[in-house]
Amino acid sequence: MKSFFKYSVTLVSTLLFSASLYAHHSAAQFDFRNTVLVEGKVMEARFANPHMRLVLEVTDDARGTRDIEFEGHSRNNMRRQGLMPDMFTVGDTVTIRIAPMRNGNDGGYVTALRTPDGEEIGRVTGAD
Amino acid sequence: MLKKVPQFQVSTCLGLIVSILFFSIPVSAADKPDFSGSWTTYRGNGGAGAFAAPPGEIKLTAEAMKARQDFISVTEGTNHGAGNSCVGYGMPASVLGSGGYPMELIQRPEQLFSIYEAHNEIRRIYIGDEAEDPSTFFPERNGYSRAHWEGDRLIVETSRLKTQVDSRYPHSNQATIREEYYFDTPLEDGTRVLAAELTMIDPLWLEEPFVTTKRWQELSDYHVMTYECSEPLWLDEMEQLYKDAGLEMVQE
Repeated sequence: MKSFFKYSVTLVSTLLFSASLYAHHSAAQFDFRNTVLVEGKVMEARFANPHMRLVLEVTDDARGTRDIEFEGHSRNNMRRQGLMPDMFTVGDTVTIRIAPMRNGNDGGYVTALRTPDGEEIGRVTGAD
Repeated sequence: MLKKVPQFQVSTCLGLIVSILFFSIPVSAADKPDFSGSWTTYRGNGGAGAFAAPPGEIKLTAEAMKARQDFISVTEGTNHGAGNSCVGYGMPASVLGSGGYPMELIQRPEQLFSIYEAHNEIRRIYIGDEAEDPSTFFPERNGYSRAHWEGDRLIVETSRLKTQVDSRYPHSNQATIREEYYFDTPLEDGTRVLAAELTMIDPLWLEEPFVTTKRWQELSDYHVMTYECSEPLWLDEMEQLYKDAGLEMVQE
């Protein structure tokens, strides 16, 4: 089965660390140094404050098919970064970049949306 | 029997009264700087640092460190946090950071409104005679703020704070905070720069006063947004009620 996970290491600026100091909660559980791409079908997308909630149906070799819940920026900051609700329509397949959970569990913090032409919309830094 | 008052005495007295009235009236608020506007953390002339915390080291007493450590031990690595519960930062974190979100100031002669976008957090800073006795108000995360002008600087004194272990600037309910607002040197392109020198003293939780300076630069033609936060909690509650009743919820 095709793996939908593609790993990439992202250099993170010091802005990341200073930003996380102001986060709404501890961002220690997310690994912003090693962001990864995840592809999945949108099951639910709630643009809310203080954080957005995104549920994708994801399939990979290791754990099969399941729904995974992700967290993201506040809807205020998502709008500022150009991330709007119509980019996460239920039923659509999307690719997102996330800071994965440090403990290896499913989930993570959405930092950007990758468009079909490879552009990434969002801010790959830290939690807000 | 009435005595006739010499004319020159009447005019002298009237002059004195007018002079006293004139000089006892506070300087017109119109003569004071107007801090109204939308502001973001100072980045200088093109530099980074939107989220950079202002300099200054906070030195906690042993009692404070124990309280802070207890808080960290139950929240670190979890989703638990004041912000996640839609609770504002509270002073001094609200003025010093507020999540890196922008701030809007609205100034009236008798009151300055600080509106921090994150959590729609609002401070009301009462100027001059508008201020009342803080001890008659309930303690709050942002306390009670009184202000007066010293030249072109607005001096803000905040008390009636609640004890906060969930702040990056922990303090007890004995803390008081002094802010001094003024316009700093503008950027090269003329963008206005606002500064606030801040001193927090706390006889219980701070070994020494915490002193720092926060700077902002103006955001022209900028919308500070509203920040609805608690609605999702209510929608979840509603959804469960409808589900339990076997009904379809139509509200989004």
